[in-house]
Amino acid sequence: MAADLSSAALAAAAAPVGAAPVLRTEDLGIRFGGLAALNGVNFAVARGEIRAVIGPNGAGKSTFFNCLTGVLRPSSGRILFNDDEITGLSPNRISRKGIARSYQITNILPNATTLENVRIAAQSRRHGWSLFTHHRAFRDIIEKAEAVLATVGLAAKADELAANLSHGEQRNLEIGIALATEPQLLCLDEPTAGMSAGETDDTIALVRRIARDLTILIVEHDMTVVMGLAHRITVLHYGAILAEGTPAEIQSNPRVLEVYLKT
Amino acid sequence: MTARRTRIFWMAFAVILALLIVMPFGLPEFWRRFLTEILIWGLLAMSSDILIGYTGMVSFGHSAFFGLGMYGAAAALLTTRPPSLWLALLYGLIAAATVAAFVAYFSTRLRDIYFAITTLIFSQIFYVIIFTWTDATGGENGLAFSRPALAIPGLFSLPFTTLTLYWFVLAVVTGSYLVLRRITRSPFGMVLQSIRENEARTRAIGYPVERYKIVAVMFSGLFAGLAGVLYAIQNRFAAPDFVFFVVSGEAVIYNIMGGVGTLVGPIVGAAAFLLLREGLSRLFPYLASVASQHGLALPGLAEFPYLIPLGIIFIAIVIFMPQGLLGFARRRLNE
Repeated sequence: MAADLSSAALAAAAAPVGAAPVLRTEDLGIRFGGLAALNGVNFAVARGEIRAVIGPNGAGKSTFFNCLTGVLRPSSGRILFNDDEITGLSPNRISRKGIARSYQITNILPNATTLENVRIAAQSRRHGWSLFTHHRAFRDIIEKAEAVLATVGLAAKADELAANLSHGEQRNLEIGIALATEPQLLCLDEPTAGMSAGETDDTIALVRRIARDLTILIVEHDMTVVMGLAHRITVLHYGAILAEGTPAEIQSNPRVLEVYLKT
Repeated sequence: MTARRTRIFWMAFAVILALLIVMPFGLPEFWRRFLTEILIWGLLAMSSDILIGYTGMVSFGHSAFFGLGMYGAAAALLTTRPPSLWLALLYGLIAAATVAAFVAYFSTRLRDIYFAITTLIFSQIFYVIIFTWTDATGGENGLAFSRPALAIPGLFSLPFTTLTLYWFVLAVVTGSYLVLRRITRSPFGMVLQSIRENEARTRAIGYPVERYKIVAVMFSGLFAGLAGVLYAIQNRFAAPDFVFFVVSGEAVIYNIMGGVGTLVGPIVGAAAFLLLREGLSRLFPYLASVASQHGLALPGLAEFPYLIPLGIIFIAIVIFMPQGLLGFARRRLNE
């Protein structure tokens, strides 16, 4: 049913009545040569929502994240965050607006301690240009970093080199780095990739916990994770929105079943 | 744990500094001057460590900063009567910082090898300008001037001796080390290290990476310029040879030999390299004379190109002590 609606109408339907969407894209498109990796994407996510973005490999999920976070500059369309246009801004400016992301392939500072990984992220909001004071003198930053480590369950590993953490711990550190920048919108790119079943459960619980204060976009291949977490799901296919709806709606959508869920 | 390490660090610092202060007493004039030069080249190498070791950028432009420090000092010493040490420092630092800002603005847009090549090209541009602008710079011959006195106007004025100049240079290099050490541990310095570790991630968490790099290059250039001023005062001349990119290459070699990302390592590297070069250059003529005393004529031994064994030693250090002499010593001490 949802598949019959135009994507513009879907975007409007995604936002609960009265709540302005925290993030909105209008006709977003990006081309790599002759390939349209994203094409006319009208997307909106409401404040406080957990939204999953799913789709087959190459559907444009990571490209979509890269456009939102400024790594790629869209070829067409606009991105609005809190009604503020952020299309084509640099990643550091977008981070300062309040969008953070984690990466599909673990992207941390391997030769720094776990604490330093989140401390440097927390420091990006305050004191970053302080030149002659020892970095440990800024207690506010260290306390913030320690609080984030406690949230992602890595407090006991604070002094460990990030390179020495297990894969699952590094994935959670990845989320911690993003959280330490105090975002309003957190984009998680396959946060449970390569995790054991136990670690996946812990990460689901973690995402639920942090979702109380933030809006979350999550790209994920593990359908149990997606169905258990998301309030709503957007299905991308060939760079366009194929369907959007609640987990139950998506699971019974014949077109989604055809192109994705059955494969 | 960390408090204990801090205490050990400051004790070692005090002991080494005390040794450096008394060291020239046992040395003849030549070696006092040699020690001063080691400190000056060490300061140049330490300044480039901010980029190589802490930010992960290799600069071949440090000869330009060093050279502009030299020519800035020359300008002050030639235009003011009596020549003033403080004006020489001021002019030299302003000249170096201006050039560093210029080079930084354009080169930090590029990364890795492209950054290195751009800084190299800039240093060669300044080399050509200085080499050809004979009216102002003396061209190929450079500029000669007299050494300023260590003076505070109205208070005292002491002419530099080899010994007092050594102490003055030691004080400046020690002060620079302490300032640079503090900068590398400041929030700013931690951002530089984050850029070295993962530039894209550093940008993604909100840091304007290019601006941090520009400031890093400017600081690095400022201290390279300070080394240039000291060199000008020590040798009483400024010459275009010191703007040539080979000088930047030497700074990189001192860094690699001593250990990057340590600040002290580059000074150790400069000392090791310069002492080895000096020692090897004397070794072969000495061996030849010993041989001839024993009736052995070894033609060509005295003129043996001593840079070949120096190069072999350097390669051995790179292969067997990839963290440099200081990194190697540290590991041994910790074991």
